[in-house]
Amino acid sequence: MDSTSTGWNDIYLPEMATLLRSEPMTADERFFECKLDSGKELGHMPGQFVEVSVLGIGEAPFSISSSPTQTGSFQMVVRNVGNVTHAMHGLKSGDKIGIRGPFGTHFPVEDEMRGKDIVFICGGLGRVPVRSAINYVLDNRDDYGEVTILYGTKSPAERLFLDEVEAIVSKENVKYLETVDRGDEEWTGNVGVITTLMTDMMVDPRKTVAVICGPPVMFKFAIMSLYKMGMVDKNIFVSLERHMKCGVGKCGHCQIDGLYVCQDGPVFRFADIAEVQEAIQ
Amino acid sequence: MSKPKVAIFDFACCEGCQLQIVNMEEDLLELISVVDPVEWREAMSDHRDGYDIAIVEGSITRHEDEERLQEIRSHAGMLIALGSCATTGGVNKLKNKFDLNDVKRCVYCDSAHLPHLNTALTKALDEVVKVDYKVHGCPINNKEFAYILRCILMGKKPFIPNYPVCVECKMKGNPCRYEYGEICLGPIIRAGCDAKCPSGGFWCYGCRGYVDNPNVNAAKEIMAQYHKTIDNLRGRMFLFGSKQEQTL
Amino acid sequence: MTKATNLRLDYDVTILPPKSFFQPQNETLLSFQRGKGYRSVIETEPFLLLGVHPYDMVAITQMDEIFSQGNGDVHYVSRRQNATIVVVDVENVSPDVFAGHMGTYKVEEGWDVLLTKVADQYLVESKTERGAALMSSLADVPDADQGWLEMRQLVWERNKGRLRRHELEAEPSTWPDLLEEAYDHPIWEEKAKLCFSCGSCNLVCPTCYCFDVRDEVHWDLVSGERFRVWDGCMLVNFAKVSGNLNFRKDEAARYRHRYYRKGKYVPSKIGGQIACVGCGRCITACVAKIANPVEVFNRLAGGR
Repeated sequence: MDSTSTGWNDIYLPEMATLLRSEPMTADERFFECKLDSGKELGHMPGQFVEVSVLGIGEAPFSISSSPTQTGSFQMVVRNVGNVTHAMHGLKSGDKIGIRGPFGTHFPVEDEMRGKDIVFICGGLGRVPVRSAINYVLDNRDDYGEVTILYGTKSPAERLFLDEVEAIVSKENVKYLETVDRGDEEWTGNVGVITTLMTDMMVDPRKTVAVICGPPVMFKFAIMSLYKMGMVDKNIFVSLERHMKCGVGKCGHCQIDGLYVCQDGPVFRFADIAEVQEAIQ
Repeated sequence: MSKPKVAIFDFACCEGCQLQIVNMEEDLLELISVVDPVEWREAMSDHRDGYDIAIVEGSITRHEDEERLQEIRSHAGMLIALGSCATTGGVNKLKNKFDLNDVKRCVYCDSAHLPHLNTALTKALDEVVKVDYKVHGCPINNKEFAYILRCILMGKKPFIPNYPVCVECKMKGNPCRYEYGEICLGPIIRAGCDAKCPSGGFWCYGCRGYVDNPNVNAAKEIMAQYHKTIDNLRGRMFLFGSKQEQTL
Repeated sequence: MTKATNLRLDYDVTILPPKSFFQPQNETLLSFQRGKGYRSVIETEPFLLLGVHPYDMVAITQMDEIFSQGNGDVHYVSRRQNATIVVVDVENVSPDVFAGHMGTYKVEEGWDVLLTKVADQYLVESKTERGAALMSSLADVPDADQGWLEMRQLVWERNKGRLRRHELEAEPSTWPDLLEEAYDHPIWEEKAKLCFSCGSCNLVCPTCYCFDVRDEVHWDLVSGERFRVWDGCMLVNFAKVSGNLNFRKDEAARYRHRYYRKGKYVPSKIGGQIACVGCGRCITACVAKIANPVEVFNRLAGGR
């Protein structure tokens, strides 16, 4: 007998979605586009994430890579590293997945970022959530100032969304700079960590907002470079990765200090976590 | 989807882990609904050639066994080590603590010189070939075996605990064996057995092998707190923990 | 239990706290089937939880807040709504309890019925409709007069004094501030040297509720269940993410995290209440004897 009367929705219950596209991007990353079977929009903001279920395998969190300005579907990029991601790499268009979310905080595209110059700093897979914000900004080009996109990967082969570069740089006042840790025979671009793209960079700290997402080791150095340009903590936004198992602030896995990355993050104003132990390593 | 062909082989062991598979009873019927057993000496009278998954029980104690295992590995797309003897060397590793000639004389007396009794140092399977999955325990927990097999069939890495037996022991609501004045290896041994021994009123002997980074130093340090010596602890680790990386 | 005489309301402490009645160790959240997707599984029926000690009741009220705030957890709350709780004031003192220091030696809220042994009888108070319904089944029981209520007050006063097997010098209200300054304190490393990362302190703790979620399939390989199991921040893989990156890979970092959760992080989510109720189970359960919150907070209060 069930004599409960909460009338609440089950926060752990996924809704079904159908894959519209499932395409390889690099050796390890795959691109997915999907649509909720309910026909509803996901209703996310750039920087948020969803929990994806693959039947019988499990559930894992993924950043949403598309901008909400693109309606009708949403996109993700998944690196093959664990059970869920491995299973996802075997899915083809038409297959079903479970979705919960969107969860978490988002980049302030409608608030602090509006009217400002924006520096996007992304390393590796950090490009995935940041792409959502980049596309949002470029789709509303008149609402923002100069845009600089810095993108670092380990090798040229790991770069994502190369087919979008042309469209990005064709917009007015948009700079797109790449670097790789190690080049290959064909690589003629910059070699070195992402901060090597920032040594000669000039920004107007009073009207610039920076957005950073990348591997843990990147944050500290990127922020130091921003400091050198005169930027302050309140104008820097970071997106952190943790083990966001439940997505709803219950399971405890993603906690850093008093914060739940799944609820209080993954996007944080750096000023709010600069003093938080464990946040930036 | 065609059912993967499974072959079960044994080396130096008591074959008790295979028996645990037989003991799955009704679940055994479920098992053969998803895999096709082609060779299984303990449970089948005939056998067919060719297999996708080799399930191997026992440890390697003779040179010719190494060759046989390598042969098995070369035919198998996947190899599963079944039970302590296969995963860690198990009880068989005890002999590595002694002079091999003494061991031979002690066990085989006058026959020790016979060529088929020419025993070598005991090895776990992964000291000889690549092992894809390990089903720990002496004997194995057949529910865990079934779970691991289902995961493999789903193309999914099974969840094998990397935390100590204490986790499951506490969940059972057992008082700690140390409170009874016993030395229990639970704090450094990999869980997954559902804490069967401590729940049955016995200390953990360590049959599932150590967790990835056991705090052996702490195990030594706490001996004094419980009025025991490090030799006492060493004695407890002797049976399943002999000649392993973390051994005292 | 078949006879009322087998009921031992004078127990000192249970090995596991009553949290498993609201958050079972292994709890099915969903079932799934290929082609049909996922379905919520909420299986609970009305039950009576009899003989809960006050400190455990305080922990339950904290968990109520955790699981119902923000995104309410319908699995927990459904079980909780089905529970009628009878609290019994402590009669015998357990070996490691320090509830007398934590203000949890008695409890005002959360229960339906409160039993207090006064002289050789139980004084019964009901607080809710469910409690009143239970009490209405008691025939010919006299009402307690002022004298009985005063004697109950004395039981509480006495419990406040004797549920102090460890002498806490750092007032619980000071814990968040102590931790504010203690991140680099040497005690974390010192204690964690002996830590087995066995999670015993987590598992026996009435305010530890972290969980892992996993899926298992049936033999048909197309249907199965998603379930959650008790997890613990002391276990080595707790803060691990894919790609073998572990955000709390050292014992000391995990050890410290647990005290920060009890004294600072969780309190910030539940109106400042300290998420340690002084039951002392962690002290008893820890094989290495490093999990004594009283010792830790006394050290922090005493400087280095």
